[in-house]
Amino acid sequence: MDNQYIKNMLSQMDKELASKGMSRRDAMKLAGISSASLLMGGTNAQAAEEEIVKTDAKGRILIIGGGLAGMSTARRLTLKLSNPDITIIEPNEDSSNYQPGQTLVGGGIWPIEEIIFKRDDYVPDGVKLIKEKAIAFTPQKNYVTTDKGTKVEYDYMIVAAGLHLDFERLKGIEAAGRCYSSGDNSNLLKVLGDDVCSIFTAEGAERTWEIMQAKIEEAKKASPEKPLRFIFTHPNTPIKCGGAPKKIMNLANARLKEAGVRDNVEMLFCTNGGAMFGIPEYHDAVLGQFKREGFKWHYRHNLLEVHKDRKIAVFDSKWQEKGPWDPIMHEYEVIPKHEKVEIAYDFLHIAPPQMAPRELRESDVGSAAGWIPVNKQTLQHFQYKNIYAVGDVAQVPMGKTGGSVRKQYKVLVDNIIAQMEGKKLPAKYAGYTVCPLITTIGTVMLAEFNWTVKPTPLLPLDPTVERWMWWLVKIYALKPMTQIGMLTTGRA
Amino acid sequence: MQVKFEFVNYNEELDIFELDENNYLLELDEEQTKTYELLKDVDLHLYNWFQKSDFFTEWVKEEVYPESIEKKFAICDINDISFRRFFFFKVTSGDIHYDYFMKLFGFIEESDWQDREYVGNKILDQLRVKRKELLMELVEDDTEV
Repeated sequence: MDNQYIKNMLSQMDKELASKGMSRRDAMKLAGISSASLLMGGTNAQAAEEEIVKTDAKGRILIIGGGLAGMSTARRLTLKLSNPDITIIEPNEDSSNYQPGQTLVGGGIWPIEEIIFKRDDYVPDGVKLIKEKAIAFTPQKNYVTTDKGTKVEYDYMIVAAGLHLDFERLKGIEAAGRCYSSGDNSNLLKVLGDDVCSIFTAEGAERTWEIMQAKIEEAKKASPEKPLRFIFTHPNTPIKCGGAPKKIMNLANARLKEAGVRDNVEMLFCTNGGAMFGIPEYHDAVLGQFKREGFKWHYRHNLLEVHKDRKIAVFDSKWQEKGPWDPIMHEYEVIPKHEKVEIAYDFLHIAPPQMAPRELRESDVGSAAGWIPVNKQTLQHFQYKNIYAVGDVAQVPMGKTGGSVRKQYKVLVDNIIAQMEGKKLPAKYAGYTVCPLITTIGTVMLAEFNWTVKPTPLLPLDPTVERWMWWLVKIYALKPMTQIGMLTTGRA
Repeated sequence: MQVKFEFVNYNEELDIFELDENNYLLELDEEQTKTYELLKDVDLHLYNWFQKSDFFTEWVKEEVYPESIEKKFAICDINDISFRRFFFFKVTSGDIHYDYFMKLFGFIEESDWQDREYVGNKILDQLRVKRKELLMELVEDDTEV
């Protein structure tokens, strides 16, 4: 992203703000983004904001993964270490893609080029990049082996390997296998076909928009009496950006309305969970929005199979029944029941099951739970104290968003440097995350929360209200904050 | 003040807790009553206080389970304050117990995606450790370990 891009983007933002009678400065103030200059690509103001004290701490640091979490952490380490000795292992040249933009690509707001960024553009000066895949981990002896047989030793290791999208677990499309959000996913697209899509990969997001447009054309031939059915799923695992399935549903809804064919489509959300959102306040707000928009939904429906030939999705539907009296606990038992149910679809958007990459999950660094077991506050591995994890791969509740990484990577850098200096770990992650929940084209509900399971808004505004201001932040501000603030400067 | 206790006995061989169907009354003195009133709303603090108090273990040794050295037991109920979920929780237990333990053990999830069985088993994993903390044993010299 060059300066011209930023100027164009800001110019567009200024035009939209002017139409609302507001300056950019006022808008940023209202949005609570104190470091507006950071978003503008300035550098002098940034330097003034945070005083960086370099340390002479020494140690070979190995980072597994060159996505947002890995690259931002490397960048920040180079800021704070006088003589950094950092190696990143990352085979995928698109690993640094702007993933939060995938919903916008899927909804036809952005072209895919907006979110494709080259790994090599974000490798900090002096950091060694090994373009191979780490496949074997030997934490007892502090080394990692790559697919090309390279043995890389370390004193400290940071696991930022992201996660696997596990389409393999879904019967009928298991040939799609497991994949990452970036890179060549042509096989996945081929397996999914013309009625099934997923914005969880960059290429898949582009394909989602193509399929959505085709289905909108089909909807013009349907009727309210014989509507098409669009299904959006949410799986039984933690996922990156828990709001993403609803975001793409809302964008599809907006596009259908735009085309004047909304009444010809039944919109159905099928989630494994028993609520719209884990935070009660946001659950209520999202439920209200679903009712307002005429969406249907099924709780406790986990996608198991896809029969592409018949356009049938098979779900594991769960419910509870009253069981026998428990005389010791003085209550009736609750008996979980489940059965397979088939639902026909015309358009199926899949949020796939997700888990840590297999080579990590099955290594001594991983855990049976499927993620890297770290202290959720310090991000330090429970067993191997010279190992840390950050981002999607870490076993941290509510931690799989770019907003979480923005808090985590600073904590991790402070802690690893303290350890290198022989000090106690000083920093703690408090579980902050943010989900800009797109409710339609032009409005966003900015769901911010942490482990208190309460809304934690930056501003004294009702966080459950959908606002155009947050849409502008989502469209114009968050990308430069990620790329310039985190990947390029390591300061945001 | 009189406090009514119910107990569970630990069957080491089967690794299970068995309910003692009897009720036992303990008379608290004035100081102990004050402490009880202070702690009664914080269930585990109340448990810990009795568990660590000499007067309580002396009473158990003499009045509740006399001549039962090496017996392992735990408190099941104190008046209307129940701890039985710690010893008898199972995956089919009511939602109220899930809420209690998820809060106690700090289970936090972004969305309500979990299966009841998955969370129930996570709770049982934590309870294996917690039960050891709650367990008491009558010993020869002192009254409790």
